[in-house]
Amino acid sequence: MAAIAARGTAGAWRAGIAACCGALLLALAPRLAAAQANPAPGIHLGVASCAGSNCHGAAEPVADSNVMQNEYVVWSKRDKHRDAYRVLLEPRAIKMAQALGLPDAANQKLCLDCHADNVPPAQRGRGFQLSDGVGCEACHGGASGWLGIHVSGATHAQNIAAGLYPTDQPAARAEKCLSCHFGDRTRFVDHRLMGAGHPRLPFELDTFTATQPAHFRVTDRYIARKGRVTDLQVWAAGEALTVVRRMDAVLDPRRSHEGLLPEFVLYDCASCHHPFGTVARPTATGLGPGTIKFDDANVVMLQLAAARVAPDSAKALGAHLAALHRGTVADWGTVEREAAAIRKIAQSLVPVLAKYSFTGADMRALAAASIAVGTGPDNYQVSRGDQVAMTLAAIVTNMRSAGLVDDAKADALTEALLRLYRGFAGEAAYRPEPFVKALRDLQAALGK
Amino acid sequence: MRRAVLALALIAAASAARAADDGVHVGVATCAGDNCHGRADVPSEAQLGTAQYPIKQNEYLVWAHKDKHARAYAVLKEPRGERIAHNLGLANAETAAECLSCHTDSVPPARRGPRYRLADGVGCEACHGGAVTWLGTHIAGLSHQDNLAAGLYPTERPEARAERCLSCHIGGGERAITHRIMGAGHPPMPFELDTFTAIQPAHFTVTARYAARKGRPNDVQIWAVGQAVDLQKRMALLTDPANAPKGATPELVLFDCQACHHAMNQLQWQARGSGGPGPGTLRLYDATAVMLEAVAARVAPDLAKDLAGHLAALHRAAAAAVPDYWAGVQRAGAALGEDAGRLAAALASHDFTAEDAKALARAVISSGDLGYSAAQQETMALESIVAAMKAFGWADASQVKALNDALGGLYEATADDQTYRPENFAAALRQVEAKLPH
Repeated sequence: MAAIAARGTAGAWRAGIAACCGALLLALAPRLAAAQANPAPGIHLGVASCAGSNCHGAAEPVADSNVMQNEYVVWSKRDKHRDAYRVLLEPRAIKMAQALGLPDAANQKLCLDCHADNVPPAQRGRGFQLSDGVGCEACHGGASGWLGIHVSGATHAQNIAAGLYPTDQPAARAEKCLSCHFGDRTRFVDHRLMGAGHPRLPFELDTFTATQPAHFRVTDRYIARKGRVTDLQVWAAGEALTVVRRMDAVLDPRRSHEGLLPEFVLYDCASCHHPFGTVARPTATGLGPGTIKFDDANVVMLQLAAARVAPDSAKALGAHLAALHRGTVADWGTVEREAAAIRKIAQSLVPVLAKYSFTGADMRALAAASIAVGTGPDNYQVSRGDQVAMTLAAIVTNMRSAGLVDDAKADALTEALLRLYRGFAGEAAYRPEPFVKALRDLQAALGK
Repeated sequence: MRRAVLALALIAAASAARAADDGVHVGVATCAGDNCHGRADVPSEAQLGTAQYPIKQNEYLVWAHKDKHARAYAVLKEPRGERIAHNLGLANAETAAECLSCHTDSVPPARRGPRYRLADGVGCEACHGGAVTWLGTHIAGLSHQDNLAAGLYPTERPEARAERCLSCHIGGGERAITHRIMGAGHPPMPFELDTFTAIQPAHFTVTARYAARKGRPNDVQIWAVGQAVDLQKRMALLTDPANAPKGATPELVLFDCQACHHAMNQLQWQARGSGGPGPGTLRLYDATAVMLEAVAARVAPDLAKDLAGHLAALHRAAAAAVPDYWAGVQRAGAALGEDAGRLAAALASHDFTAEDAKALARAVISSGDLGYSAAQQETMALESIVAAMKAFGWADASQVKALNDALGGLYEATADDQTYRPENFAAALRQVEAKLPH
């Protein structure tokens, strides 16, 4: 969550967050790569091909240019994707590998598929280095097909047509990031990896774009070339596609169960990882005490987005989610049926949400609804806390860029967000109470 | 051996029958007279065990003042009990059958005598059986055998005691303890027969007269038999159709609590000598099975092989990604339960020696399992073994004192599951090992 906290504008609170949540930053940083979902047709030429000082390796942002041109430097110095391979050599990874019965981590497809740009050897160019981690082409696609026109001043549309991956489009970006940050049929961080020591994978597309940190700036030139995309479009498309990917996992027998046991990464961590006691854990799912609760945080956030755009879909999502919860303690057939229905709705919402213009009224309603989720039943779920906090960060950022809040109010909101993230400072011992208090403060800062 | 098997079968049958109907329960007050079991002036150590003072006769008072069983009903009305009832959607706990089945001497109204009171909690007859059939012979001064023949429950026999205690302390059937109840706030229920006998606290004192009437108890044997019956009962629960997985979830109470209930920044998984699943999956509770493996290896090597094989098979079956995994779990569980039954009989007739005690202490220490549940069982196992060393003089007074001090370290290391650290427990185990007699 601290990584999320690094979103924002005021340097002071960025520093504050780094100080107060340093350990979390390490634990939760988006170390996993955002490599492509499908093998690129092209050869991956390697990071070095992009890093020239007159290309993307400028020491400082270049004025009067289409892009900052220091993208490589931002990635290399500040982006955790840069360290994705290197961490496989660290003690934590070596211990994990041991627990998994592997000789090491740095030579395993299981790990490399997300911790490097692990394309087959035939697709690795001369400058390609596995140790570069999740480099340029892991997200932007193998450059052999488009580097020529790219350096010769082609338009963005021409680059895309030649094979550059459209990371500027919310749905496409979601697809690419989620291929590792949630996973798919071929790459999946299951609970076996978690039990061996892998950190959990909270993710929200807009926040993670910001905290990566982004190596682009939305300028007039950017908008002219790639169009204007708002934070909430990115957020909403991200939530919708995360739901699709989550339901894919539910519907994949190899990812939904292991023998007697359900695949625990599909359930909320705090369902089990809590001390004993009689603390009330109120739930609106209808499930009784002692049950493992399906991680529904993304579905719940998608419901909020859909409520603004397609109210019938929002209602249907709610009904299917309730039925899915009941199925988890009754029969798996129901779970699969409901998951398929949820998947279908979410899939249909991706393009709608990616294009929808969220208004000021939408933003205020979304903020109120997110706060209601965070202060309501089931808020002991760590995943609900994650999603509520990151959603509110996306809303506040969007309000700010849309000029809906003045500087004083923006600062107050930033302060309140900071306190919200502190609720996660001890993620392992997440408790809803301080989180609820911070949400109330944020609510007060938002005003009417 | 065959006789022991037969005896065990008879006890099990008698126990089951008695649970169904062991006559009218006449109530705690019937036993509490000051000339019966409610005597305030306790005989001296020299007097105890003589014809005039065969027992202390203060058993009722020990129970009433020191034994948690006396409070079993009362706790249902306390805030925690209310909270649990609320979480379960019950009006209250003190009238709910699922609570009363273990929190009092839950016989049907037709078998409650005039002095029976539900509020007495787990009273005399909850363990010793309804007294209406045997109270007469009992106060007439007949032999213990006569009392047993009339219906007194043989709590002095390890296998019978295990059967009785575990009917609640593991539960099953009408006394089912589900993860639903746990999730509502019921505390976890670690149990080991010999340690729990001692800390109850025991309301009997072993004298020469006691030994002559009921046999001389051996803590190592009580521990060992308790582990076997424990495993047998666990496997019965695992193969009970009521506990078959529903939807996505198996009956979680059958699994090791700490496999899940730990902070996410405190990784629990480690490779175990006894096999078991890989990281990130639930583990069927097997701490008692692991202890039993150590006992079997020493006392019944033939059975030990089967036990180890079936335990490993059970863990494999539980993690097998095949459509009929549940059938596999049932098969492996049934086989393991049979092993445990055979071991219970073998251990009940084994004469545990000083050499056995020393070897078992070392086997427990080197079992290599440092999970929290295993650590609890290892602690209680060593407590039982040290108790036997003391009772039988297998260690001298100074050795016993040193061992008891070292046992304190084990209890300290396992005091709280949330702050438990395997390395501290391992260090405490080494302290115990260093004090063991050679």
